[in-house]
Amino acid sequence: MAASFTLRGALLGVSRLRCRTPGPPAGAAGLRFVCNAGPEERRAGIIESTEEYKFVERLIPPSRVPAPPRHAGVTPSGWSPPADSPPPLPYVIRRSRMHNIPVYTDLTNGSRKMTLIRKVEGDIWALEKDVKEFLKEVTGKELPTQVNEVTMTLKVKGHFDGELKQWLTSKGF
Amino acid sequence: MLAVTCERNMSVPKKPGGKALEVLQNLPRITLANLRPEPGSKQREKKRGRGQHGGNRSGRGHKGERQRGTRPRLGFEGGQTPFYLVIPKYGYNEGHSRRPQYQPLSLKRLQYLIDLGRVDPTQPIDLTQLVNARGVTVQPLKRDYGVQLVDEGADIFAAKINIEVQRASEGAIAAIERNGGVISTSFYDPISLGMLIKPVPFFMRGQPIPKRMLPGEDMVPYYTFAKNRGYLADPEKIRQARLALAQKYGYILPDISKDELYHMLSMRKDVRQIFFGLAPGWVVNMPEKKILKPTDEKLLKYYSS
Repeated sequence: MAASFTLRGALLGVSRLRCRTPGPPAGAAGLRFVCNAGPEERRAGIIESTEEYKFVERLIPPSRVPAPPRHAGVTPSGWSPPADSPPPLPYVIRRSRMHNIPVYTDLTNGSRKMTLIRKVEGDIWALEKDVKEFLKEVTGKELPTQVNEVTMTLKVKGHFDGELKQWLTSKGF
Repeated sequence: MLAVTCERNMSVPKKPGGKALEVLQNLPRITLANLRPEPGSKQREKKRGRGQHGGNRSGRGHKGERQRGTRPRLGFEGGQTPFYLVIPKYGYNEGHSRRPQYQPLSLKRLQYLIDLGRVDPTQPIDLTQLVNARGVTVQPLKRDYGVQLVDEGADIFAAKINIEVQRASEGAIAAIERNGGVISTSFYDPISLGMLIKPVPFFMRGQPIPKRMLPGEDMVPYYTFAKNRGYLADPEKIRQARLALAQKYGYILPDISKDELYHMLSMRKDVRQIFFGLAPGWVVNMPEKKILKPTDEKLLKYYSS
């Protein structure tokens, strides 16, 4: 079908072909048609350019969390980078995906306050001992803790996320 | 916490998950027959109508509507006009779904995003950049018209940026200008906002970038005031407002024109432009990394108006 029309177009004159690219018949000029022509062809009334594409690339969201830039010490927002080499302790607390200390507060049943330390690796019982000592200095009380060796987490009764985060950053985690 | 029916050995573990792992390895296989809850963790339920404590009146009290279960509806006060009818109606929430909302962004959070490298301060900061950094979540379908800068964290803020938001408090404007940055407020109609937040799905549609609409009658005064650094305001008045704000808050206004990043700091979008560097009327072809621009007179006239 398309072949006969292009032949007719060629027979009638070159001027016809210049204005319209070979494709749908003349009667369908009123209809919108999707351009299936090759990208190198210049369609009537459109300029193609690749120069401004860099602005489009700026708009694409990144799919991975970017690594934070090098900072020497604490940043104005209060975030501090981990030490270059891990401290010489029997345990290690890794940073979260967003490069923060993995200490979280939990509130259950409206009044049950707990603090959770996640992502512990190594000797978790030594960490529990150190945490108990540190919180004894801070509060003066022996706080109940729970060690979960399967998920390698430590739960402490009460909200101590600020103190624990500062303590862990000072250790260099 | 499930307790296994065996003694625990008290040796110091040498590998992670030490004690529990050793205990598990030395015990017989765990089955349903070996498990029992920690003593004291489960409390017996009080069965109503049975026994000395659950029986007799079964916790319903003595006679009356309480025991017989024929109490009146909630809020009834025995015939006295109840509280919920005494208080007159007032349209506090009337038209709440037609009010524009702005997602707050504190300067503390903005500083945190810059410190962690999620937002680039060497490029103009736009709503798209903030959403790509996952710093704010804007929902245009919930009557969100953009982001507003809140001055929480104004005292710790220390970054020189060119930022464009939809609303900003005076303290936030002062904090940004004190550090040598540039702030401007601009309006995005809901369709443009949807495109700004998720540019990639819009480009995949293959439609030409539309013009950004101008604000409605009620928002025009906000965006023409130099005090709010509106995008429709007179640049001369904005310069005067910057000086006035510096005097009010008591800091010396740094001269941006002598800055090395002056070109970046002075970059502004055109009133009808949605994306930086892309004009309305263009079609973006993402798979082939091309931009198609119209050349028809009428179209160019329409898109540049």
